[in-house]
Amino acid sequence: MNLTVNGAEYELASPPLASLLYALREEIGITSAKAGCQQGGCGTCTVLIDGQPRRACLTPLLTVDGASVQTVEGLGDADNLSPVQAAFYEHYAAQCGFCTAGMIMAATALVERKAGATREDVLDALGGHFCRCTGYVKIVEAVVAAAAGEVDTARPDPQDEAGEPEVVIPGSPA
Amino acid sequence: MTIAPLVEQELLRPGSLEEAVEAFGDGSNVTVLGGGTILMPEFTAGRVPAGRVMVLTGAGIDRLTNDGGTLHIGAAVRVAELEDAPEPLGSAARSVADVEIRAQATVGGNLCAPRGSAFPRGDLQAALIALGAQVRSAGAGGERTEPVEEFLPRREGRLVLGVEAETAGRRGAWASLDRPHTHSYTPLAVAAAIGPDGELRIAAGGVGAHAVRLPFAERAGVAATGSEALADVELADDALASAWYRQRMLPVLVRRALSQLEEQA
Amino acid sequence: MKAVGARLPRYDGLQHVTGQSLYVDDVRVPGLLWTKALRSPHHSALIRHLDTSAAERLPGVHAIITHEDVPVNVVGHLAALGVPADEPLLAEHEVRYLGQPIAAVAAESEEAAQAAVDAIEVSYEEREPFLDIRKAFDPEVPKLTPEGNLFFYEPHQERRVRKGDVEWAFDKADHIVQGVYRPGAIEHAPTETQVALVVPEATGRLTVYSCTQAMYFSMGVVATHLGVPLNRLKFVGGTVGGGFGGKVDTATETIAALLALKAKWPVKWRWTREEEFLCSSVRAAWHVEIADAVTTEGWILGRRTMTLHDAGAYTRFSSYGATKHTFHLTGAYTIPNVAFNSYVVWTNHVPTTAMRGFGVTSVSFAVEMHMNRIAETIGMDPWELRLQNANRIGDTAPTRVTLKDPSAVPTMLAAAQAAGVELAGDYRTMTSEPRAGRLLPEHLASQVGDLGSNGGGQ
Repeated sequence: MNLTVNGAEYELASPPLASLLYALREEIGITSAKAGCQQGGCGTCTVLIDGQPRRACLTPLLTVDGASVQTVEGLGDADNLSPVQAAFYEHYAAQCGFCTAGMIMAATALVERKAGATREDVLDALGGHFCRCTGYVKIVEAVVAAAAGEVDTARPDPQDEAGEPEVVIPGSPA
Repeated sequence: MTIAPLVEQELLRPGSLEEAVEAFGDGSNVTVLGGGTILMPEFTAGRVPAGRVMVLTGAGIDRLTNDGGTLHIGAAVRVAELEDAPEPLGSAARSVADVEIRAQATVGGNLCAPRGSAFPRGDLQAALIALGAQVRSAGAGGERTEPVEEFLPRREGRLVLGVEAETAGRRGAWASLDRPHTHSYTPLAVAAAIGPDGELRIAAGGVGAHAVRLPFAERAGVAATGSEALADVELADDALASAWYRQRMLPVLVRRALSQLEEQA
Repeated sequence: MKAVGARLPRYDGLQHVTGQSLYVDDVRVPGLLWTKALRSPHHSALIRHLDTSAAERLPGVHAIITHEDVPVNVVGHLAALGVPADEPLLAEHEVRYLGQPIAAVAAESEEAAQAAVDAIEVSYEEREPFLDIRKAFDPEVPKLTPEGNLFFYEPHQERRVRKGDVEWAFDKADHIVQGVYRPGAIEHAPTETQVALVVPEATGRLTVYSCTQAMYFSMGVVATHLGVPLNRLKFVGGTVGGGFGGKVDTATETIAALLALKAKWPVKWRWTREEEFLCSSVRAAWHVEIADAVTTEGWILGRRTMTLHDAGAYTRFSSYGATKHTFHLTGAYTIPNVAFNSYVVWTNHVPTTAMRGFGVTSVSFAVEMHMNRIAETIGMDPWELRLQNANRIGDTAPTRVTLKDPSAVPTMLAAAQAAGVELAGDYRTMTSEPRAGRLLPEHLASQVGDLGSNGGGQ
């Protein structure tokens, strides 16, 4: 079986009825898609298959033979974030980070499908994605901002923004 | 987390409807994999069925066409493709799980999936019954075509090939309880439709092993109080709702669905 | 101090949004062995027979451990606080909860490990389980320990708080308002299940990749079980896929470490979602009984409580959680005369643990429900009842700490505003300033503390 993942082509040895998640994590070594529940219920393994968001844990490998898969590693790196990645970063939409890759992939599909997506559109598109930390508020805000084009993908260096700490205790190593 | 790959199963990959029918045979020792939303978690947990696994991808039964008001739905059509279907089917499809699951789950799976360990399955079934849909299936004794409500109680050992529904001139309504969460099956739902000849069909899902038609409620007509439907069902407790709660809500949902039909008139 | 008040990016934000954050299961090591555990299928049973020899001969199996392989098997999570050790890492002669680990296998694949677990010969003598904390005082119920099912708080069987004269309060009351509140157990359900990876070095030192929330605590637990000094362990952590208290328990690290030492290869143990739900610790269920001595003017003169805390099969943090619970049993309100009794009850449920304010959320639930019940009983507006009794500067807590900065009044006023509730004039302008006038009735006058006397606060 063949699979294109983030633009690179792979010939896979995983069994045909293994899940796409198994092939990504265990054979190819792409770990952003997580094995959260392995029954389609948490969304953290969501990837784009030929541009459409799908649960990698529910996808039998043989049904995606020849397909093109994109994971968050294929969206953008730290110096070149995609709009959705930048929005998640700016809006503090990732806390523990375990659900983040799946959220970003589903949100990316929404934003590409529907510029100017509303809050309701976001709730629908992320309805199956489980975040145990945040309460979803910042995640929804981030995706709405990304859909509205209100993100700055040129990331400031966190160190510049924080500045040098002031020495408040005379003689301290700081 | 175990991610057990399947290695020992004999795999059947029919390239056409005819090959699928032949490979399925009388259905013994064959597990049919449609979208995989129910089976893949079982495989991953190491609960692998004995015998062969038949994968419907590539069998050419995934077409959805609307031919002069008749909806032809292939067994491997994805639930998401029905989101804009005529009511009550569109509402039923939109109420299934989430964007990703709807894009993967199939109509055939929705009709054939057995009741879960503690919950009903098959959220499309009531809507298809209300539309008077016919199921074409293969298996022991050959192919047969029958109304959905007759197919469901004797679906064991059948391979769904497709579903047909006359939707022209039909008005439909859907009333359901909210799901406790996105991935929950619907605890209780009522679908109703009136055909061009004035025939009223009402069905309920979440009432047992599969959806059922509600003939007592139908006979009471659009002015039914809703409680007539209680004579049509045998309610039970499960993880989603108690029989007590369903008994109180079924008449309410019947009434809501009928009110929608009255408002459309 | 430029960081204080500044809007700084998350330090791990960029790695989260680019998929570069490495969680324990993402760490790959050559030659990795995988773990599966033999877990009790019963809530309560004696282990009559345990034989791993057939399992050891299966292909791909590198190590199997039972309690005999654990240098210090029985450890207490709060041993440093003097709480007796009571929980075995691997069950010895008995199992006390469904899912309790008895043996663990390291093999070349998870399937091979599971096959070996299935080949372990084990037989049980099932016992009647004790599952209902309401029967804690029933002499007929099964006992988990020879002493019974109640944790012993030196010098009492229960955690006690006493303040004022509760007999006087109940004599003076116009109404006695009683209620029973039973918040249920809650699974933390982190999206990342419990997981550990342990890599042994030739020197015997272990690198432990851990999803723990409490790095040094978990290091201590592992070192105690292994009987080694802390410098033999190198813990790598910090990336936790959700914990919420459940990853304070050291669920996987010790067993993976023992297997790695025995197999002399790296070992990973990752729980399935089913294991996480069935076998991981939960927030405890509680049974809280409250009786309040109340006046028609809406004053709570006194409160008696009896609380049962479902600890599950072993103590872990329960004695601490129930202590916290007992200290907070007035909620955000001032009650001058109290008698609180809280019992930690061992049952054959999974052991319970920390979860977001554990011990105190059960109080909040019970007390706030009870405030509504009081308001209904005496026909008073529930907002006004709460504001009248809310803690003020100078009030004393049940532990006699004098409150210097209580926040109940401003919090409730903000909640009322957010909820669109119109409060009557003197309630709308209420503050936390010390009680005076109508808000300082005779029965509260003697309880107002000395702000200079201690370092209290709320």
